[in-house]
Amino acid sequence: MLLSIKNLTAEVEGKPILQGVDLDVRPGEVHAIMGPNGSGKSTLAHVLAGRDGYDVTGGEVLFEGQDLIALEPEERASRGLFLAFQYPVELPGVNNTHFLKEALNAQRKSRGEPELDSVAFLKLVREKIKLVSMNPELLKRQVNTGFSGGEKKRNEILQMAVFEPKLAVLDETDSGLDIDALRTVSEGVNALRSPDRAVILVTHYQRLLDYIEPDFVHVLAGGRIVRSGDKTLAKELEEKGYGWLADEEAA
Amino acid sequence: MGSTSEQYDALVSGGYEHGFVSEIDTEIIPPGLSEDVIRFISSRKAEPEWVLEYRLKAYRHWLTMTPPHWASVHYPPIDHDAISYFAAPRKKPTLNSLDEVDPELLATYEKLGIPLEEQKALAGVAVDAVFDSVSVATTFRENLAEAGVIFCSISEAAQDHPDLLREYLGSVVPHTDNYYAALNAAVFTDGTFVYIPKGVRCPMELSTYFRINAQNTGQFERTLIIAEEGSHVSYLEGCTAPMRDENQLHAAVVELVAMKDAQIKYSTVQNWYPGDANGKGGIYNFVTKRGDCRGDRSKISWTQVETGSAITWKYPSCLLRGDDSVGEFYSVAVTRGRQQADTGTKMIHIGRNTRSTIVSKGISAAQGKQAYRGLVRMAQRAENARNHTQCDSLLIGDRCAAHTYPYIEVKNPTAKVEHEATTSKIGDDQLFYCRSRGISEEDAVSLIVNGFCKEIFNELPMEFAVEAQKLLAISLEGAVG
Amino acid sequence: MNTAEQTSTDLRALVQAAGSEAAGALATPGWLTPVRERGARDVLTMPLPVRKDEAWRYTPVGFLERQSYRAPQVAAPGILVIADIQHLLRPDSVGPRLVFVNGYHAPALSAIGTLPDGVTLTTITQAPGQLPVGLRQQVERVAEHRHVFSALNSALVSDGALIHLAAGTILDSPIEILHIAVGTDEPGICHPRHAIVVDEGAQARVVERYCSVGDPVYFTNAVVDVHVAAGAGLVHERLQTESVGAQHLTELRVTLSENSFYRHVAAALGGEWSRTNLQVVFAGEGAEADLNGLMLAGDKQLNDVHLDIRHDVPRCTSREAFKGILDGRGRIVFDGRILVARDAQKTDAQLSNDNLMLSRSAEVDTKPQLEIYADDVKCSHGTTVGELDKDSLFYLRSRGIPESQAMRMLCQGFAGDVLDRLADQSLREIAQELLDKRLSTSGAALVEGESGDAS
Repeated sequence: MLLSIKNLTAEVEGKPILQGVDLDVRPGEVHAIMGPNGSGKSTLAHVLAGRDGYDVTGGEVLFEGQDLIALEPEERASRGLFLAFQYPVELPGVNNTHFLKEALNAQRKSRGEPELDSVAFLKLVREKIKLVSMNPELLKRQVNTGFSGGEKKRNEILQMAVFEPKLAVLDETDSGLDIDALRTVSEGVNALRSPDRAVILVTHYQRLLDYIEPDFVHVLAGGRIVRSGDKTLAKELEEKGYGWLADEEAA
Repeated sequence: MGSTSEQYDALVSGGYEHGFVSEIDTEIIPPGLSEDVIRFISSRKAEPEWVLEYRLKAYRHWLTMTPPHWASVHYPPIDHDAISYFAAPRKKPTLNSLDEVDPELLATYEKLGIPLEEQKALAGVAVDAVFDSVSVATTFRENLAEAGVIFCSISEAAQDHPDLLREYLGSVVPHTDNYYAALNAAVFTDGTFVYIPKGVRCPMELSTYFRINAQNTGQFERTLIIAEEGSHVSYLEGCTAPMRDENQLHAAVVELVAMKDAQIKYSTVQNWYPGDANGKGGIYNFVTKRGDCRGDRSKISWTQVETGSAITWKYPSCLLRGDDSVGEFYSVAVTRGRQQADTGTKMIHIGRNTRSTIVSKGISAAQGKQAYRGLVRMAQRAENARNHTQCDSLLIGDRCAAHTYPYIEVKNPTAKVEHEATTSKIGDDQLFYCRSRGISEEDAVSLIVNGFCKEIFNELPMEFAVEAQKLLAISLEGAVG
Repeated sequence: MNTAEQTSTDLRALVQAAGSEAAGALATPGWLTPVRERGARDVLTMPLPVRKDEAWRYTPVGFLERQSYRAPQVAAPGILVIADIQHLLRPDSVGPRLVFVNGYHAPALSAIGTLPDGVTLTTITQAPGQLPVGLRQQVERVAEHRHVFSALNSALVSDGALIHLAAGTILDSPIEILHIAVGTDEPGICHPRHAIVVDEGAQARVVERYCSVGDPVYFTNAVVDVHVAAGAGLVHERLQTESVGAQHLTELRVTLSENSFYRHVAAALGGEWSRTNLQVVFAGEGAEADLNGLMLAGDKQLNDVHLDIRHDVPRCTSREAFKGILDGRGRIVFDGRILVARDAQKTDAQLSNDNLMLSRSAEVDTKPQLEIYADDVKCSHGTTVGELDKDSLFYLRSRGIPESQAMRMLCQGFAGDVLDRLADQSLREIAQELLDKRLSTSGAALVEGESGDAS
């Protein structure tokens, strides 16, 4: 089991958001987590990444059998967890390529792997850029500074390609994207699918799932997963809306 | 004599706790300043008559001046009668081996990647025969002599190139300019004289040579660089190794003269001893630095990376007299602990089509205080002058402060001035973003700070840029709590 | 005795003369006495500002040495009648209007009408025995004097408007304070002192205007205190169109409580020497200040704005946008100081000062300053100095517009950013007309200058 979440409760600034989440993810699987606004989707993503201000109040999260919550964000990254931000952060003056190399080498060092020198790294990053069909121009620029919404999301996927995580959590990757950008980003994600890698897609709209087909779909509402199913569940939600689930619950 | 030599010992040896071997010239003069002291200094250096006259004229003027007062820098008044103005050719006390050197100092040298032999030279350890500093120096001088470049001390210039010295000394910073310039003109101990003949590109950066002798910086240094038509020179001052100095007051004067089509690049990387945790014992660094772009199309660039120093007061400036002349100022200043920096630049546009660029980056951490004080003046005749100024402050922690006081005086409507200042801190989300990519918090701070300072580092000669980055990393160690 | 000392003595003599005459001449409300006493004490001890004083470095007060002023002790009734000032009144004039002539309230020229509940509009000379609490607290406050001129105002205050809006009162129509200067035998000096207090949740708009009849020489030394309580809002518009030989100084002190809003839109177009010291103190979180100003320095005019924005508490926002237009030998001095205190986190302050120089002999001295002691803040400032865009000028001319008119149009466009923020069309028109007039007279000079300048 790659990721095992049991009865997870969490608060943000003292307000309880997650009220007992259970989720199991195995390598190679793609899980979609959908839900109305305020249901806790982003909270779940940030709790997994270890953001300050998101406090776990109960339950457990095991990553490859080890307690994830006890680890610092850098350590989680080294172990193979990657969060694609909903709002990727700008780092003015920091060159994109340099940033990628520093991060990759920090992770490798942490794992006891040899670090890559500039030449080897450049080779690697060029391959990855091709793999995810992105514009090499992105490499020359400063991290996310002056990037359009689509470029920022694409940059996140490029990072995913370079770091080769075991578990990638994509937080509302489709938000703010037009059809073309959505397609490019989805192609990138699909190119990175592998039996060793799991992906959790956090999304509000079903649209993304037309491009990245999930194996499992879960609905998060009121801080809990209230329904799980396969991709047809997503279709039902699209037709009937989130309110339908609430009615069904009541019934 | 007994009490005086104790005083002298105290002055010279403060800062080195352990036993040392000292070779001190027996000629000492009591502290305090007077015409007699100046005559004594001049005769000891065997200076020509006109130099003595210059000194005396400056001294007499200094007596009529009052020390300046800057509102945002606090320091106890300096007692000029308590300073000894002449210390015989300063031989730093020598230690017998690196084992006797403050281990923290050594640790810093290691982190900065300074080679072992240089470490010894810097720490005042007797240098062994393998590393012959004298012969290294000789090779440099030979290369320079071949190109016609004169690079010697001011004292030597007074003997060997008196006409040149006389023509230019004090022509950019007259002794009447300010209190410390007057004092310096009266008692300057020594300094550097550089002359680049017409059309010559100085074959090497005038830095390496200087580094070896860095520890001999005196209190009242005088630097004069003259670049004739079409010549280029890059001069580097300072040292990334922490500069300890028992002398608290440093009042240096730097004069640069650039003729037609000449370019002078003056870079400073300074890491002054900041004093102890309470700021005691730190150095007061008052420098007047001015570049005169005399010729058309001349260019003078000031680049500086400063950390440490209890109090820094310096405003490298450019007089843009020649048409199409260019002045640049790139600066990174880091203040921490109880350091105070009040620094900036002055760009005076006089000729036509002149351009100036100012990029000032200040990083304050802990209780550091920074002030940028700049002046951009466009004279009435300054047709088409252009200035672009960017002042950015990065605050780390909530106990530090950053101030910006730009003075902009424009008398010509065709001039264009653009000034921008921003303040930011290292954001939590930026740190988290980096950490979620595997980069430790400390490295993340380093990454972001380097990104912040990038423009400045790009202006430094390469070897210094690398050291400057390391210096920055060390200065900010532990700053993000 | 040097001239500066002489002038100081003249000012002190004014104070002493006032002291002896005041008791009989004017009904001074009791609550004003401590203010007056403090003022008198300070005038006798404070020196005139000199160049060495940072705040007066570019703004000499030499004009005080060239002439001596007489402070009119009493209002001269009937000196002006409505017909005389008709041309100054706004055509769409709605709302109460208080008129002051040479510093004294002229009831015959004012028009107050019936005020809604919660609105108090009175003057110092006619103040009722009982002032609303909020107002009283403000006017009784004996504030420190930052320079001798505000001390002088405290000592010799002639008259002034007292405006108060009780909690929750919303007044849609603007309250106008109209100052008119009329020539007398000798140059006069007057000291209007206004207080505007807007209590919790109330909202108002106040328009201050300074103008003259004829072209007298005089010195208006005004002090205006503004206090906006929690959740309240004030729009404050100031139009200074003093005569060409006049001097004008306003010390405007604004205190903002939590979640309050203050918008300031000012156009300083007249006077040979004009200075506004605008101080905004954020005393409560979540307040917002939106400050806009247009400064005109035509030939031989000096126009100075000094800002002192104090972000003393967290989460406040300030926007300062000041524009200057210079011509002839005009001089503009701008000093925009923003101070962010140690714990004032989440402060958001943005300042801009843009200046347009139309002549070769003009001078701009601008100094946007930032003093920041907190780290989680957003502060920036920008300054530009330049001239009219040549391409734009050419474009207008290629469409048949004569050069001087084209220049005026572009200046109007530049000034528009500020003037458009004035709520009333009539005020905008008054400002634009005067701007136009000032620019036309020197516009001719500019054209000559350009063609005559062969180099």
